[in-house]
Amino acid sequence: MTTKGGIDLANDPRPLGPVGEGRSRARDEAIVSPVLAFENIIQDFRSPQGDGALRVLDGISFDVKPGQFTAVVGPSGCGKSTLLQMAAGLLFPTFGSVHYQGQKITTVNRSIGFVPQQAQLLPWKTLRENVELSLVLRHVAAKEREQRVREILAAVGLSGFENHYPHQLSGGMQKRASIARTLIYAPAVVLMDEPFGALDAQTRMIMQNDLQTLWARQGTTILFVTHDLTEAILLADNVILLGRQPTRLKADIAVPLERPRNVFQPFHTAGFAELYDEVWTIFQSEIGRPAALTNVG
Amino acid sequence: MSVAPMSTTVREAASPKRQAKRVIWRRMLMRLIGVLPGVAFLVLWQWASGRYIRAIYVSRPTDIAVRLYQAIASGEILPDLVTTGEELVLGYVIGVAMGIVGGYALARAPRLAAVFEPYVMAFYGVPKIALAPLFIIWFGIGIWSKVALAAVMVFFLVFYNVYMGVRTVDRELVNLTMIMGASESQLTRHVYLPAAAPFVIMGMRMAIPYSVIGVIVGEFTSSVQGLGLFISQASADYDPAGVFAGIAILLLFVFVANAGATRLERRLLRWRPAHQESMQQIP
Repeated sequence: MTTKGGIDLANDPRPLGPVGEGRSRARDEAIVSPVLAFENIIQDFRSPQGDGALRVLDGISFDVKPGQFTAVVGPSGCGKSTLLQMAAGLLFPTFGSVHYQGQKITTVNRSIGFVPQQAQLLPWKTLRENVELSLVLRHVAAKEREQRVREILAAVGLSGFENHYPHQLSGGMQKRASIARTLIYAPAVVLMDEPFGALDAQTRMIMQNDLQTLWARQGTTILFVTHDLTEAILLADNVILLGRQPTRLKADIAVPLERPRNVFQPFHTAGFAELYDEVWTIFQSEIGRPAALTNVG
Repeated sequence: MSVAPMSTTVREAASPKRQAKRVIWRRMLMRLIGVLPGVAFLVLWQWASGRYIRAIYVSRPTDIAVRLYQAIASGEILPDLVTTGEELVLGYVIGVAMGIVGGYALARAPRLAAVFEPYVMAFYGVPKIALAPLFIIWFGIGIWSKVALAAVMVFFLVFYNVYMGVRTVDRELVNLTMIMGASESQLTRHVYLPAAAPFVIMGMRMAIPYSVIGVIVGEFTSSVQGLGLFISQASADYDPAGVFAGIAILLLFVFVANAGATRLERRLLRWRPAHQESMQQIP
């Protein structure tokens, strides 16, 4: 293709639309290359009336840096789970692109791990079979599988339940198993879609604490979607704040709190309250009002 | 197997051995009670036959037992039994295999399904029994025309169950397994087939009596050997005991096949919570 001097629009990788704050900031600090880069993501869905498109995501850009815990927070229905679907290669944005390790995602992303809202274990497999599945799919030898299953089950506190079927485990245990089966193959990035949303308050705090410990040990990159501000601030290095639909990026806030953090008594953590107030001030204007619908043709 | 919930007092809980014994006792009692209606029916039949209904119409249980014994002891019925058995097994296995493969293929290939589903629907609507004369022209009066008829009847039941079963697999489970690194064939093995297993087994269960219908109708239409022929000849000879003897053997076939299906179900679906187990369990 020869376009003398002119700009080849079709092949120009640069986004045409507005560029969000998060992206420009990441560019300034571009010391480490991002493991995941969302570039000007626009997502339209067919509107319920069927007479046009509903713009859900309206130009979202941000980076996920390796080894970091990034949380995405936004009001319900703002399309934060949609972003994870895109990072997993299960859905492709209407405009814009998601890059994994510099490569544009065009198919199912098998280098990442995904922890869904519900545990979604395979009901016909025992705990052991569920947890070792990714290794079986990769033809890892039985002996090594056994060793790794033992280690990861010990790490999430599920030793002794190897031969139980999912329906024989409690909700919290299923969630642990779901995390274990993702961490066992050490994916470069773990995507978590409101993983603790369905748990009771006590179990959730315990799981948050355990996740913090696991993450510190494994050193993996986590992109964590939640609607819970406290959870986001307590767990993340970076909080991406999304507005209401059509969703734009409101803020990309660094969380400099010391680790490990006390998830059981967050307000005892120095600096937490101030940070919470700061985030809340931005977030406040985005909730409590009905989402505006925009017709885009 | 359902056992009535037991009232556990402190004393009983203290001795698990005794409790286990009680469970076994209860189970045997339940079985005994289960047999009672059948026995009552046979006694009523025996008593009423010749008294209120002419024996030439309904025969009587003792006569049927005697006739059955004669037919087996003399070896008269054995060739028929073997022929029908062969036809049933072949027809059933071929029908089930084709149903699983066809249902799975169409469920996984939506474009293929869009083209072929209307045709399958149309064929489903054809009364399969009407095909019996045609199959005899095509496959002769030997076992293969009966095998074909049984296979066709079985095919549709299994086909539809597998088709629905595979199509209703939770998309999220498929996606998650794909992200974990599964290839297409690994998805089939670890997700689609196990997810469809309850439907496959339900189809297989439902298909058992249909395979018997297919074979017997085929044999009625035209055959050289088989239980269907035995029954129709007994009927032509005004031998109701012979007719019932033939039916009793067919019942036995169904009974054995059902027991096999139950065992298969227990093995393949042992991961399901107890309340989801099939209601219809014939021991």
